[in-house]
Amino acid sequence: MLTASADGMTREQVTAKLKEVLIEELNLEDKTPVDIDQAAPLFGEGLGLDSLDALQLAMAIEEQFGVRVPEGDEARPIFASVDSLSAYIIDHS
Amino acid sequence: MAGGACDDHASAGPAETVIWVTGIGVVSPLGVGAELTFDRLVRGDGAVGELQLFEPADCRSRLAAEVRELDVAQVAPPEQLDTWSRTDAMAVMAAREALLQAHLTPDASEGSAVDLIVGGSTAGMFETEKLLAEMSKNPDSIEPLKRMLSHPLSATADRMLDTFGLLRDARTVCSACSSGANALILGASRLLSGRSSCVLAGGADGLCRLTYVGFNALAALSPAPCRPFSTSRSGLTLGEGAAFLVLETEAHARERGVEALAEFRGWAVGSEAHHITHPEPTGETASRVMASALAMAELEPTQVGYLNAHGTATPLNDAMEIAAIKRCFGPAAPRLMVSSSKGQIGHTLAAAGAMEAAISVMVVQHGRVPPTVGLGEIDDACAGVDHVTDGRRQDVAAAMSTSFGFGGSDTALLFSRPGAFENKSGFVRRRVFVTAAATLGAEGICGAEDAGRHVRGGDPESVAKRIEFKAADYLDLKRARRLDRPARMVTAVVEHGLAQSGCPASRLADAGAIVAAAYGSVDACANYVQRFTDRGARFASPAVFPNLLPSSPVAHASVYLGLGGPVFASADVGATAEGAMVAAVELLEVGQGRIIAAGGVEEASDIIDRALGPLCTGHVGRGPRSEGAAVLVFEAEVGDGDVMSRAIAEVVWSDAWRDRCDWLGLPAPVGRSGVFVATDVPALGTMLTGSGWAKVSRYSVSGRVGHHECAGGFASAAAVSLLAAGKLDMAFVIGLAPVRQRALVLRACPHGAKP
Repeated sequence: MLTASADGMTREQVTAKLKEVLIEELNLEDKTPVDIDQAAPLFGEGLGLDSLDALQLAMAIEEQFGVRVPEGDEARPIFASVDSLSAYIIDHS
Repeated sequence: MAGGACDDHASAGPAETVIWVTGIGVVSPLGVGAELTFDRLVRGDGAVGELQLFEPADCRSRLAAEVRELDVAQVAPPEQLDTWSRTDAMAVMAAREALLQAHLTPDASEGSAVDLIVGGSTAGMFETEKLLAEMSKNPDSIEPLKRMLSHPLSATADRMLDTFGLLRDARTVCSACSSGANALILGASRLLSGRSSCVLAGGADGLCRLTYVGFNALAALSPAPCRPFSTSRSGLTLGEGAAFLVLETEAHARERGVEALAEFRGWAVGSEAHHITHPEPTGETASRVMASALAMAELEPTQVGYLNAHGTATPLNDAMEIAAIKRCFGPAAPRLMVSSSKGQIGHTLAAAGAMEAAISVMVVQHGRVPPTVGLGEIDDACAGVDHVTDGRRQDVAAAMSTSFGFGGSDTALLFSRPGAFENKSGFVRRRVFVTAAATLGAEGICGAEDAGRHVRGGDPESVAKRIEFKAADYLDLKRARRLDRPARMVTAVVEHGLAQSGCPASRLADAGAIVAAAYGSVDACANYVQRFTDRGARFASPAVFPNLLPSSPVAHASVYLGLGGPVFASADVGATAEGAMVAAVELLEVGQGRIIAAGGVEEASDIIDRALGPLCTGHVGRGPRSEGAAVLVFEAEVGDGDVMSRAIAEVVWSDAWRDRCDWLGLPAPVGRSGVFVATDVPALGTMLTGSGWAKVSRYSVSGRVGHHECAGGFASAAAVSLLAAGKLDMAFVIGLAPVRQRALVLRACPHGAKP
């Protein structure tokens, strides 16, 4: 029942959409897409996200891009930054 | 202290200190009956199996611990079958067993007066979630409407009131997975406060799709039966059930010739203020709560033989819990027998605290200790206690039970074998004062200085249905990003109240909050169910799930504000805010917490407007509801004079009852007095007849704040405002609902209270 896919999207388009997903899903009301440094760490420092956010993002990425992100230790490098997430989405679309 | 102070308080004095457990009742996945459940627990039997109640499509687990033999039709009156939930049926079965064991006659309408406190989190969710999903698409498509009567959290208490003639009052509390334990604390506090001599308290929770899918979204469900404390643990197994305990004062039990199963000797509740779903890794708060329960019980760590752990088998919970035990029990920890029952009966959520309290009572009663089933290799982070892996025969003089709820609501209960220890020293009930009021509604945010405007009159029809509330005006949105609208309303109003009270920021760790939500986040629940029904469980939001409980708004507020005291929700439809206030007063009087902001919150909702409101509180009518949040700040006398110097009013009387109040100890109105109520209705005059308050001026607020379940909180704040302004000397605040009434009498302290 997937409604979306990243097929045919450029890396820039994926990154731009991903930033919107981040802001919307994690209620980053004080942020706009330009505020998000796509190379910066998402967790701990940077945006200061935690594992509850990671679960929310994983769900939203599947919904918006049709890509399932693995859980647990495998997910750590994927969730490192917006760039690493974009790369994973493009590779798995 | 300046002159003109309050008169001496009449009710303070040495109080009854010994509380006995005289009856227990359990409906568990292992069977119907406390003794049957306990025998099977000690034998190591498990009840985890393939879920049959519904299809857990798209979830990482297919397992649950179900009460398979449950047949609601065998418990509910035939004509009411379509308004009873599985939760209701289990609660009634467990309560009947407890009452009978305590030699109480459940159906007696005269004689013993027993007050009921129910811990719950989902009530009739299983029976109503499909209707909710329909209603979230179209609020008018509600058939059969009557089914929704089982939805409010207080429905279970209502069914119990209908069933058992001996119940005088019923209240409902929610703190997620510690609800049942907190119900016991509220019950015991009521006994110590001298307002009751016998209570029935516990918890009940039936399985439903919403919680199953929600815990699945949090990646918290284990695909295999859960393995508490094990290296290989990978999450929890959900269960369902109900457990109730009869608690009474020793004097009351002796008078009835009833023996104690155990003494309920100590308890404590506190908040972690850490995260909405993650426990505080150090276990600092859990340890503090355990230590407070020990101190109240006047016991040393070495005197406790057994601890029934929360032990959910999530990686974070179990490590935190053992860290907390080691921190609290110190050198006694390695000899402390510890087990979790969740590998056998699953996590029964709101029932768990009561279920595990019942198990702890039976441990001291029978000298048998149940194991942790599923415990394989002990995780290094969970080592350092005596993990019980096979049932043992071992005398236990005192046993502790711990429970931890979403948002970090931590509770510890301590039961001892009757006569095993010396009687505790006596205690003196503390006086309780109101030091602030705050409301957030159609007129913005108000404090004690301007909340009096709510009584100026107006047309309820003209009050905006949805208030203007810009969270950014009150909260740091970065820190508040997980808070939904009701949570933001609660946080703003509690913060305003605590700031107005003059309570220094350094004392926030001593502050708690009890905020009622009559129907919980019903629209958010409906949207959640609709989404996972339409799109599949894997599109259920992990971040939204923790916002769906009635206790979610206040739990979020505790995390945001750093509150360390008692934090939970109550849910007494029709008298919500007043019920929370009465509970806060009882807790403070007997020593739980120092400062509690208590009141309610209600959010605009089409589902409440069109279905739940008219069904559940017929006297409110079908007019526009509006919405809002309101609290009073209550503080206990702590001996340093500070609280009394800041006091606006003293709580000189408070109580909760059903339909007929004996007005025991109700002070007569003195000087300029007023009766404050959300909406003035003829029943109020009838009720006050003969009380001395019948001819006193009445003030109502619905003309200014609209009709909603929290309007009584605004009436209370208006009363405090008029007392603070010197316009009144006494105020009688009363919450009226069809089957429950709660009230407080406040006396102004114009120049501070007299010691």
